[in-house]
Amino acid sequence: MLHFLTFGAPGIAVYVCFVLAPIVVSFGYSLTNYNPFNPPTEYVGLRNYRLLFQDPEFLMSLRVTTILTVIVVVVPNVLGLAIALVLDRRGWFYNALRTVFFTPVVLSTVVVSIIWVRLMADDGLINQSLRGLGVDDPPGWLSDPSYALYSLGIILSWQMLGFCVVVYLAGLQGVPGDLLEAAAIDGAGPVARFRHITWPMLAPALTINTVVMLITAFKVYDHVQVITKGGPGSGTTATIAYNVIQTGFVANRQGYASAMAITMLVIIAGATAVVLKILQRREVQL
Amino acid sequence: MTGDRAPWLRPMVALATSVLFFVPLYVALVNVFKDGPKISESPASLPIPPTLDNVRSVLTRPDRLFWVSLTNSVVITGLSIIILTVLSAMLGHYLVRAGGRWSRVVMLLLLSGLMIPPQVILLPITRVLQTLHLMTTVQGLVLFNVGYYVPFGVFVFAGFMRSIPVELEEAAAIDGAGRATVFWRVVFPLLRPASASVLIFLGVWIWNDFLNPLIILGPGQGTTITTGIYRSIGQYQADFGGVFAMMLLATLPVLVFYLFLQRHFVKGLTGGATKG
Repeated sequence: MLHFLTFGAPGIAVYVCFVLAPIVVSFGYSLTNYNPFNPPTEYVGLRNYRLLFQDPEFLMSLRVTTILTVIVVVVPNVLGLAIALVLDRRGWFYNALRTVFFTPVVLSTVVVSIIWVRLMADDGLINQSLRGLGVDDPPGWLSDPSYALYSLGIILSWQMLGFCVVVYLAGLQGVPGDLLEAAAIDGAGPVARFRHITWPMLAPALTINTVVMLITAFKVYDHVQVITKGGPGSGTTATIAYNVIQTGFVANRQGYASAMAITMLVIIAGATAVVLKILQRREVQL
Repeated sequence: MTGDRAPWLRPMVALATSVLFFVPLYVALVNVFKDGPKISESPASLPIPPTLDNVRSVLTRPDRLFWVSLTNSVVITGLSIIILTVLSAMLGHYLVRAGGRWSRVVMLLLLSGLMIPPQVILLPITRVLQTLHLMTTVQGLVLFNVGYYVPFGVFVFAGFMRSIPVELEEAAAIDGAGRATVFWRVVFPLLRPASASVLIFLGVWIWNDFLNPLIILGPGQGTTITTGIYRSIGQYQADFGGVFAMMLLATLPVLVFYLFLQRHFVKGLTGGATKG
């Protein structure tokens, strides 16, 4: 008991106070019309949740978040694996390149966002280069509603790519060289060796990358706030995470924002559980 | 996989991809040392002759935005990671040594905390901090950080604890040392690699945190390095040279840290990526 009080309790107490209890309170808010500047607060049952799924703005943010999540799960995973296969050699040269790829992961999202705002501006490097190549009317990467979301996807993928590279590289180091050699002697070509040896052995790395990308992408807020503020147009890049903050802290509709946040939590937990289950089953089958 | 026929192919592909990937960082870096007109005219040119005006103007701003933000970030990050390391080492130790179903339940609850978006808890948190008169204070943000990041710390420490033989503690206990003494004198020093991982990762995360300081410190009461940069783009939209200079200065500590401790970053990240 003393052991618990001195060693266990302090950590558990802060976690309960600042994470678990607030989730419960959030759920409580979501059943009310709570707005600190517009009392009285009344219990409204599940009305907020019903409204949510008829609210075009929320449905739009669900769509935006899903598209962004798919991009960020697929692009860094695929490119990360390709780059890891290329960088999977010893020596200072490959170590230095790995460092280059991982650098954006340790940079602040605000810094990364501003760098790309300049790059993708109308007079930025990308469009200057495109004009130099003879494209007369290059797209407004961040100002055109039909491009902005995909541009955000590119920016996020660039920032997270190094994470996938490093995890895949570690996975590749666990693939026994003699196994690959033996397969080569038996006449297996590079594609067959990859498909039947390397790829199955990368299963744990794939699980980590997919889950981390999924969780990261689903709660993207910083890039939206700094780069597009949800626009251009109405909500073309407004993620759920962005709308929760806007509704809760700017519009002060805290009851409604809480319903949104709880829905977001349920989706993220559900998606993570499903993906984990599927991918871990693959690992076991090895 | 490129085979032996073209040994130069792999390094060439690797280099070309990396160069392309590096372009955004290169542009950000060279623009720190260029003046405003050149930044928009020729974003990719080398800064010849280089100017230190942007850096100087950031360091000497009359509102001391950079210095205030830097101080706040150092204090917030420093306090948070020290408290987090101590608390999560103790909690990790407790959960692994106590064992049993109750410990497993607590562990599961903590692990599920790793994926909770801050949006879900920030609204009630601001109420709690207001009640405690800690809203818009550094202490309030530190307290929140400790609660929000403790799952990661426990996750790392608990994983590492399992590799430390319990006999070591038992032997020390037989020699008459109390539980606290055993932990701090015997166990904690052995946990050093785990402590390094926790300090490094949480240090970088908390330093780079944007939403939590934005909401909890608020717009009025000073900024951290990230919210400071954000505020500077709002005010001086045109002065990208200044913004790039501030970004570089704000990132320098993390970059130096990263370049020196790379091995730890990679090791900490990839512990679970390989089997066995």
